[in-house]
Amino acid sequence: MSVAVGITPIEASLFVFVLLTAVLTALFRDVLASIVVFAAYSLGLALLYTFYRAPDVGLTEAAIGAGVTTVFLLLTIAKTTRPASDARFESINWPAVGVCGLFVLVVGATLPAFPAVGDPASPILANADVTGYYIANAYDETGAENAVTAVLAAYRGFDTFGEAIVVFAAGVASLLVLGREVFTA
Amino acid sequence: MTDFLGVVTTRHAYALFVLLSAIGLYMMIANKNLVKKIIGLNMFQTGVFLFFVTSAYRIGGAAPIITEGAGPYVSPLPQVIVLTAIVVGISLTAVGLALTIRLYSEYGTLRADALREVIGDE
Repeated sequence: MSVAVGITPIEASLFVFVLLTAVLTALFRDVLASIVVFAAYSLGLALLYTFYRAPDVGLTEAAIGAGVTTVFLLLTIAKTTRPASDARFESINWPAVGVCGLFVLVVGATLPAFPAVGDPASPILANADVTGYYIANAYDETGAENAVTAVLAAYRGFDTFGEAIVVFAAGVASLLVLGREVFTA
Repeated sequence: MTDFLGVVTTRHAYALFVLLSAIGLYMMIANKNLVKKIIGLNMFQTGVFLFFVTSAYRIGGAAPIITEGAGPYVSPLPQVIVLTAIVVGISLTAVGLALTIRLYSEYGTLRADALREVIGDE
C-alpha cells in the first residue's frame, strides 16, 4: 500500500513560523526579546507535535517548553542583568555560521537515507515486534487506552522512575548552587 | 536538482530538524550571553525531539489512543522517549540557569568572554 508522501500546507506554514522564530531568537540582542520569541517558538513546536499526532508531547512542550522554561529564563534575567543596547540585532558571527553550515552539510547529507516522513513502510512503523506489539497489546496488558501512557508508566516504568530521580537531583543541585543568594535576597 | 527538491519535500521534517539544531548550535557558539547559550541548548534539544516525533508519524494515522475502529496508529515509543527527554531537558536548563545566577553573583557579568578574562586574572 503506498501513500502520497510530501509536505502539506499546514506543515509548511508551521515550518516557516518555527524557523522564523528560531532565527529571531538567535539574532535579537535584547535577552528579554529572545526569551519571548523563544516562547512563541515553543508554541509553534507544540502545534507541530500535535499535527504529527503526538498530543501528549504537544501538551508537555506547551507546559514545559513555553511555560516553565520561559519562567526560569525570566527569573534568571530578573536575578541577574539584562544588558542594555542600542542595536536591535546581534552582529553575525561568520566563523560560527561556517561551523553550523558544515554541520548542516554533514547531517543533511544523511537525509536521502531516511524513509519519507509518514511513510507507513518505514522501519519504525512496520516493526511488528515493537510498535506493532505495543499497539496490539498495550490495552489488554495495562488497561491504559493511551498507548503512550501504557509504555511510559508500565513497560518503561523504570525509565520514568529514573527520570524522576533526574528531576530530584536537578532540584537538589539547583538549591545547592544557589544557596542563600536567591532565598534571602 | 529535482532530486534535491524531492528529498527535501519528502524528508521535510528531518530537514527542519537539521536547521533547528544548526541554529541552536550557532547560538551556543556565537552568542556571548550565557542565558542565550542556554536558550540555544534548548533549541538544539527541541530539534532532536522533532526528529523523534516525526519518525513516529504515519500519514493518515491516528494518535496512539486505542479505541474501537480507529487506527492505524502512529508509533507510541518515540513519543514516550521524547516525553522523558523534555523533562530531563528542563532539569538540565534549571541547573544551567542556577549556575548562571551563581556566576553572576560572583563575577558580575553574564558574558562568556568577560568571564574568561576575570577568571584568568585571578
